[in-house]
Formats: sequence, structure tokens, C-alpha cells
Amino acid sequence: MSKVPALELNDIHKTFGDVEVLKGISLKAYDGDVISILGSSGSGKSTFLRCINMLENPTKGEIIFNGEPLSLKPGETDLVAANMKQLTQMRQQIGFVFQSFNLWPHMTILENVMEGPANVLKRPKNEVKAYAEHLLNKVGIADKKDMYPSQLSGGQQQRVAIARTLAMDPQVILFDEPTSALDPELVGEVLGVMRNLADEGRTMLIVTHEMNFAREVSSEVVFLHQGLVEEKGTPTQVFENPQSERCKGFLSSTF
Amino acid sequence: MIDLHGFGNQLLQGAVITVELAFASLIVGLILGLLGASAKLSSIKALQWIANAYTTIIRGIPELLTVLIIYFGATSVLMSVASLFGYEEYIEIGPFVAGVTALGLTFGAYATEVFRGALQSIPKGQHEAAVALGMGNVRKFYRIILPQVWRMALPGLGNLFLVLLKDTALVSVVGLDDIMRKASIAVSSTKEPFLFYSAAACMYLILTIISMVAVHYMEKKASRGIKRT
Ligand SMILES: Nc1ncnc2c1ncn2[C@@H]1O[C@H](COP(=O)(O)OP(=O)(O)O)[C@@H](O)[C@H]1O
Ligand SMILES: [Mg+2]
Repeated sequence: MSKVPALELNDIHKTFGDVEVLKGISLKAYDGDVISILGSSGSGKSTFLRCINMLENPTKGEIIFNGEPLSLKPGETDLVAANMKQLTQMRQQIGFVFQSFNLWPHMTILENVMEGPANVLKRPKNEVKAYAEHLLNKVGIADKKDMYPSQLSGGQQQRVAIARTLAMDPQVILFDEPTSALDPELVGEVLGVMRNLADEGRTMLIVTHEMNFAREVSSEVVFLHQGLVEEKGTPTQVFENPQSERCKGFLSSTF
Repeated sequence: MIDLHGFGNQLLQGAVITVELAFASLIVGLILGLLGASAKLSSIKALQWIANAYTTIIRGIPELLTVLIIYFGATSVLMSVASLFGYEEYIEIGPFVAGVTALGLTFGAYATEVFRGALQSIPKGQHEAAVALGMGNVRKFYRIILPQVWRMALPGLGNLFLVLLKDTALVSVVGLDDIMRKASIAVSSTKEPFLFYSAAACMYLILTIISMVAVHYMEKKASRGIKRT
């Protein structure tokens, strides 16, 4: 019996103007996989992650979610969704955690977390509220639920953003450098939450510069260089015995 | 007590009309302003062009002329359109409708710029966080974007409303029974211009102060959570 990947990306290309930023990236994530994506700044990590849920439109390639290909059609300069409804449903099941949190400043913490399930998934408000409170408890922010984002530290805001994503019960969660905007002393609390999610068996794709974290939680590590996969393998293979010179150089410069 | 020669009631009736005109124009103007700003920021060239033409023309004409042109122009336009359909009766839009149209168009043209600035100041990440949850464009607009735009735009809009409130006096020239016209009528029958123009001035001043207080409270309410407390 061959399993169907939760998420499969085939030959993703992306061009900005006439610069080709992604030159054909493929990747498969099965349920429970934690895939870390490493690479120096500008190598295309964010662009790749954003192409997965079409925050950025790829110029070429295939996105397959649970065996179902996302239908794409040529737009002016890149591929656009051919079926908005299909894309919307896929987005509801793929969470995205941003480097800059992007909490909604006019809503309380609780309202931020409830917005998706209550108003997008249209689940009953009382259930949603109980679930949101449970999630806030889980990320350790329960006592701040009636505050506004601006009243929280960066680490707390990012934990709320994670709870907001979890509230949608996503099958896959994408993290784009979730700790890079944080003061060093706040990084640990966010990584702790993510570590718990990995232990629960959540399927996650994580762009990160936290090498120790990536090494400990990942089932697979992918190293990008100039829009291509330069090296991939288990954390042991990539960290202990990288094949590519560039990956070796990158790792030695970051540790 | 000041003796208004029995015209006090008339002035109060005028105040009701003034307030009605101001609010109706405000609502029309807010809608036009949002549409105008969205059109200016859209990627469709034709929409940008229409919005630019609208704001340029309206802001380039004195408000008094806009009122006169709408009042007299709309009548002849409506009648020639109606005659195309074989309808030959005399049609007239009343001074109130003409006033709402003219002042709504004016407010909308200035509000377009206020809303445009506010829309542009919303960080891209605010949109993306909504899109990434699978939120549709309509819901994103009124749940996420509009409340933030409203907060940013409120001071500018409040200011425009104070201007609008006083521009309502212009509509008296086409016969709307607002504060201004009631005062003029009182002046011509009592020959006491200073008394009645001062009374009218006081009424505008009171309405302005009430508006300022209301806007202040709305600003306070809209900026909940924005400032670090
Ligand atoms: N919207 C954009 N327009 C033009 N160029 C972009 C845009 N987004 C990213 N790029 C370029 O694409 C390259 C890859 O960027 P990015 O994916 O953000 O890299 P990383 O996340 O690995 O640092 C960079 O050279 C960046 O300047
Ligand atoms: Mg990046």
C-alpha cells in the first residue's frame, strides 16, 4: 500500500521580473513529517513556502494536496488558481505562520484566534470560543485572551499566531522563520510550542535559522541554494555528513 | 430671554433639515469615497481614470456651483431622458435630493483621498494573514481591512464632516428650508438681520461642537488596542 503525500510540490518555478528565484523545487510531505528548510538569505525559502498556498503565484509547477492537484491556469505573468473555491478550501487546511506574526490589531487575542473557525469555517460560536481558549492555554497565553496584540511581547504574539492557525485544524502548517523577528530571549518559548506540535505528530514545513531546533525535531532537512534544492536528507545525514560544499559552508558558518 | 419674534420654532425646524441633509450626504459621501479609493487603487485602468476624473472635477468646482448645476441640470437631464421614453410631464428633483447629491459628491471626492491613504497604510501582512486562513475577499474587507481603515480615516473624515455641515447652508439658495433659509426669511419679515444671523451662527456652532465630541468618542472607540497601554 503506497501512502498519498499530504502535500506534494512538483518542479515549482518562480520568476520576479526577469529574475528566476525558484528554479524547479520538488518536495513531498507525508502526514507527520516535519521538514526544515534551510538556506542563506535570498535563496528562495520564503518564496517557495508562499507558493505552496499561493500567497505568491508560481510561474510553473504543480501543487498537490492530499492527492488532489490544485488547478492552475496561466495568468498575465504566472500561474493563477483556476478554481478559487478549491484554493480557498486548500488554504483553510494549510496553516501559515508569518515571521512578522500579522495578528489583527483591532481584535483581542481571543477574537484573533476565533476569527477563522467562527467566520470562515462558520462553526458555532460557543464551541469555537471553548476551543480557542483551550488553544491559548496550550500555547501559554490563556491569561492574555482579552488583551490586544500591541500589549503582548513578540514571543507572545507569535504564540497567539500559532494558536490562530491551529484553530483552523490545519492538516499541514507552514512556518516562515517564526522566530527571526524575536529578541533572542523570546525565541525559546516559540520553539517550545513548535516542538510540542512536532511531538503531537503535526505535519509541518519550517523555514528556520535555528539549527539545533531543526536538527532535533525534523524528519527531513532540505537545504536551498539559489532557488534549487542543493542537499536533502535526514537531519543526521545533512548535519553530520553534508555532501555539497555549499551546504557544508553554510552549516559551518551558522554553528 | 432673547425675543425671536416667534421664529424660534422655524429655526429649529430648519436645524432638523440641516442635520438630515448633513447625515444623508455623509452616508452617500462615505460610500462614494470608499468606491473612489478602491477604484484609484485597483489595477483596472478605466476605473482609475473614472475616479481621477471624478475627484478632479468635483474638487475643481466651487460647492455652490455644484449645488446649482445639480439642481438645475438634473432636472433638464431627467426630463430629456424621460422624453426619450415618451414621458413629457415636468419632472423636478427637490432641493433636498439635489443637496444630498451635490454635497455627497463633494464629500465623496475628498473622502476618496482620505480612504486611499488609509487603505495604503494597511500592511500587506494584514491581508495575507486573512488570505492564508482561506478568508474570501468580501469578508476580509469588512472584518479585517475596513475596521483598520476606519480608524485611520476617522480624523480626516471628521474634519470633512465639519466642512460638510457648514456647506449645507449653500443648499438654501435652491430653496431648501434649512437653518440658513429660515434665518433669511425671518430677517426679511422682521428686519433684524443681526439677531437672526447670530442665532443661525449659534445653531451651526452647537451642531459643530456636538459633531466634534461624537467624532472624538468614535476615535477613542476605534483605536482600542492600538496604543500600548
Ligand atoms: N515580491 C518580490 N519581488 C521581487 N523580488 C522578490 C520578491 N520577493 C522576493 N524576491 C527576491 O527573491 C529572492 C528570494 O527571496 P526570498 O524567497 O524572500 O528568500 P529567503 O526567504 O530565502 O531569504 C530574493 O532575491 C528576493 O529579493
Ligand atoms: Mg525569507
